[in-house]
Amino acid sequence: MKEKEAYIDYEPHQLMLYVEKDDGTFGPIITGSYLSKNYIDDFFEKMEKLRLSLLQQLKDNKISPVEYYRVIHDFNIFELSRRTEISLFKVRRHLLVKGFLKAKVSDLIKYAEVFDVPVSNLFQVITVESRDSETKDGVKDENKYKVKQTKTQSPLLVITKFESNK
Amino acid sequence: MAAHCESGTLTALLNHKGLTISEPMIFGMGSGLYFGYLRHTPNLNFPMFILRTKPGKLRKKVAKRIGIKFKSETYRSTEKAEKELDALIAKGIPVAVQVDLYYMEYIPEWERVHANIHFITIVGREDDYYIVSDSYFPKLAKLHKDNLQKARFAKGYLAPKGFMYYIDSIPETFDQKKIIIKAIKETVNNMIGIQPPFIGIRGMRMFGKKVVEWPKITRDIDHLSHEIMKINIFLEDQGTGGAGFRYMYATFLRQAAQLFNSSDLDGLSKKMMEIGDGWRKISYFAAKIGKNRDLGSDKLLELSQLILERADTEELFYKEMKVIVNQLN
Repeated sequence: MKEKEAYIDYEPHQLMLYVEKDDGTFGPIITGSYLSKNYIDDFFEKMEKLRLSLLQQLKDNKISPVEYYRVIHDFNIFELSRRTEISLFKVRRHLLVKGFLKAKVSDLIKYAEVFDVPVSNLFQVITVESRDSETKDGVKDENKYKVKQTKTQSPLLVITKFESNK
Repeated sequence: MAAHCESGTLTALLNHKGLTISEPMIFGMGSGLYFGYLRHTPNLNFPMFILRTKPGKLRKKVAKRIGIKFKSETYRSTEKAEKELDALIAKGIPVAVQVDLYYMEYIPEWERVHANIHFITIVGREDDYYIVSDSYFPKLAKLHKDNLQKARFAKGYLAPKGFMYYIDSIPETFDQKKIIIKAIKETVNNMIGIQPPFIGIRGMRMFGKKVVEWPKITRDIDHLSHEIMKINIFLEDQGTGGAGFRYMYATFLRQAAQLFNSSDLDGLSKKMMEIGDGWRKISYFAAKIGKNRDLGSDKLLELSQLILERADTEELFYKEMKVIVNQLN
């Protein structure tokens, strides 16, 4: 690839490419990501659509919170089992609402750790006023608020604080 | 910053230790170029293709061929891992650690996926933060110690288990030409030698044939679009130096050509650059049809044809490279 064709102006996502430079030598340049620059909105849109679809299934009691986070994090059940060190048999059960109701607290702590959320978030959805309808239209107003969750010494307790952005 | 985390980290450590060598040379000497189409493995949610050898293999091969001695360690205790890392960086020794990319808080959120095969170099510590040199980030970054611990001890496929390494010694001299010949021969074998049907050129053809079947194994059009656009990510954005490592390998061949004073190798480097352009065309095409949800059978067939064309071109390339490398001395 010629050097002049390689430059993409996108500061948030930089990468290194090897190119044919103007003098004919081959070497590295730092440039922006073509995909991130041109298609990142599409990625966010797809992820938001997926999240809302899963959230609806969660609200309708069709899937468990474990299944919700599993799909969001793109884990397959084997990987989730390995990461949580919970048996495959139990993970399969915990993906279903019926099985989730029988999950031990110690298992939920392991899931929360792997999903990188407080354990309380397996039982609640935190949202802000403008997002009550859970449509993408509300997202721009989300900048008004900041939700800060702080862990405590207890693995079961988290402090959730709403702060207004100034 | 470097093109790829494993070769970039190793190159940085070697340069720091006094061995001036480029990342493409490390990549080539470690026979890093590869192709595989994986679909029946429990570790994957969806079929994927790989473009380089298994994580860790490049480092081991380069070390063995050059004669580099590493000090490496895995840990069960997180406290011991932190203590020993701190002791090394306090002595001014940069240390490479294997981590789950997801916890690298300085990287934009959309790039952070769970992958236990990322390598970073720890160069210092300021209170609760480590100073990190990451191939995928343009400047030194800060990483909280809790996140580093989570990243080093994430469980799952290829779990890091706290793995870290640093360079103990480098030989004063080594026969670079001999290593290059050996490394190129291995790459030729990986691509056109006797390999399982999902590896090398045969793997490329399998990928080309199977991609048209992806609609059958996706949830909906958005999922298919996501997987198709990931072709671009694997080829360009996941630390390849562009076109699925082809541009970096072309640079390695160019540097090898200068070392051997070989016009044949120089010709190969130009051809590999052109092969890379073909892969880049595929990645742009995949991104475009994915974004437009233009994923009918005609477009997938077109994508398939582009991949099969690459397989044909690369097969000829490696056959030619095999002849040329056997004439080198």
